[in-house]
Amino acid sequence: MNQKLSDNRLQRELFKFAPGLFFVGLVVLWEAVCRLAALPAFVLPSPTAIVNAFFDVEFSRWMEHLWATLSVALMGFGLSIAISIPLAIAMMRSELLQRTLYPLLVVIQSTPVVAVAPLIIVLMGSDDPSRVLITCLLTFFPLVVSTATGIQETPDELIELSRSLDAPLRRETWQIRIPYAIPHIFSGLKVAITLAIIGAVVAEFVAAEKGLGYFIQFSTSFFKIPQAFAGLIFLAAISLLLFKSVQWTQQIFFGWSLPKK
Amino acid sequence: MRTRFPRMAVLALSLSISSMASAADKVVFQLDWLPGGDKAPVYVGIQQGYFQAEDLDVSIASGRGSTDAVTKMATGQSDVGTADIGALMAAKAQDDVPVSAVYAFFTQAPHAFFTLADSDIESIKDVPGKKVATSPFTSSNAFLPLVLEENGMPADAVTLTKTDPGALGPMLMTGNTDAIIAWVTNTALFTEQAKSAGKEIRVLPWSDAGLELYSSSLLAADKFIKERPDVAKRFVRAYAKAVAFTADKPKQAGEDIHTMVPEVDPIVAANQITDTMKLVKNSISDTDGMGVFTKARVAQTWTYVAKANGLETSALDPESIINRSLMPE
Repeated sequence: MNQKLSDNRLQRELFKFAPGLFFVGLVVLWEAVCRLAALPAFVLPSPTAIVNAFFDVEFSRWMEHLWATLSVALMGFGLSIAISIPLAIAMMRSELLQRTLYPLLVVIQSTPVVAVAPLIIVLMGSDDPSRVLITCLLTFFPLVVSTATGIQETPDELIELSRSLDAPLRRETWQIRIPYAIPHIFSGLKVAITLAIIGAVVAEFVAAEKGLGYFIQFSTSFFKIPQAFAGLIFLAAISLLLFKSVQWTQQIFFGWSLPKK
Repeated sequence: MRTRFPRMAVLALSLSISSMASAADKVVFQLDWLPGGDKAPVYVGIQQGYFQAEDLDVSIASGRGSTDAVTKMATGQSDVGTADIGALMAAKAQDDVPVSAVYAFFTQAPHAFFTLADSDIESIKDVPGKKVATSPFTSSNAFLPLVLEENGMPADAVTLTKTDPGALGPMLMTGNTDAIIAWVTNTALFTEQAKSAGKEIRVLPWSDAGLELYSSSLLAADKFIKERPDVAKRFVRAYAKAVAFTADKPKQAGEDIHTMVPEVDPIVAANQITDTMKLVKNSISDTDGMGVFTKARVAQTWTYVAKANGLETSALDPESIINRSLMPE
């Protein structure tokens, strides 16, 4: 009986730590492959070489690059929210707007941002506003689609009830449609926040003097591959943190919109 | 009261005059790529005070290729900068881009084949039938058929693979390609990479194989030259001093870049500068003078550029893109 209990406990502990153990195992395997096969750093740098490269760069420089990327990503993300949600609401209210704007939005989304980015830089200059616009172009579409889907999914009977009680359109939108759209909006926000980092990096690849994307491009141009990997991993960590922040925001302020376990 | 107003007016006037006198002229310098040893002179100019001595406040913007740099000068985002004169010639032949070449920087072509020292490619004549890797957007690709033809080989004598610039070195070291095409300014970087793989490299510059032309040059926006000719002239004068300093003291020049861009390793930069300066200070500059564009070599450069880009030689008078009015006396 005791043996069975301790087996169950071990299984539970293993389950709890499985993601961490898997990650550590992967890193150990990576290090072992690099060492045993004596791979040069320019082919595949080992995790220890990447860690060393990370600490070779001054902390203040990392913070400078991080802030440049983060500020553009967050401004682009914010602009995207400010445009997308009102646009989705307007499109759901007016069939004419929906018919007119939707195809245009699809065209904008289908145009590769990487191809348009140099043109934006030429038109708007190589400062932050153009990088924010590039980020916004990449992030706004999932937000429009998810908000519009959420608004559309409001049950008809609730809308009918609100109209039978003569509720003004503003109340119908804020108290019925938006709350129904919240889970969808957060799904869109989670996609958009990761795209915001990609957008900022794309913009930095085209024109920038600072930022993690610029740093990676710069490191590659000097064949400092471990340093480029360090930048890449830092970028991925920031992206993960931002994704989690959106999740936490939903849990703290809109916990009711999460599926019940 | 009667005397107070004029006194205040005089004070205000003198203050505004003194602030005008102390405000240096702002100049935006455009690089055609990211900071590195091959872009040293502008950093040297700032760090050694050559621009300050000319009352200039110079800021530097990085670029993403010669075409990008020319576009930024043409659209007024930058005043002056370095880029391949070939890119300017090609742009001018197709559109009247308001940019001119004012000072010759690379008087030799920077393009080269890089192979491993134990390879059987010992000269350019050994490349037919070999696997050669290059990056997709380098200007070298356009000159490859010309240098092959110049050496009696067909334009398609090599099997060309296009790959990311960062992958070229690793491909060569791991034996995935027999040779790569890159600029001689990167010799130090490839040498370091080869050393880490226990190998050595051999460089075969195309300038040794008959490709005689101007390459990276100091360009300036026509608007800048027309509206602020004195500033432009002072800039070129200071830049020329910075070029001479860079050639004489590569180590200090490497430190100067490192001071402004801490990510650039000063020793690597110094090695890059030594490689780069062979394109700047050489038999051509010894004969013609530093920074001088000669009519004959400009015409020859255009002949190559026109051929490389599939343009008619009549599409441009190459002299029309050169402005010699800013050359230091």
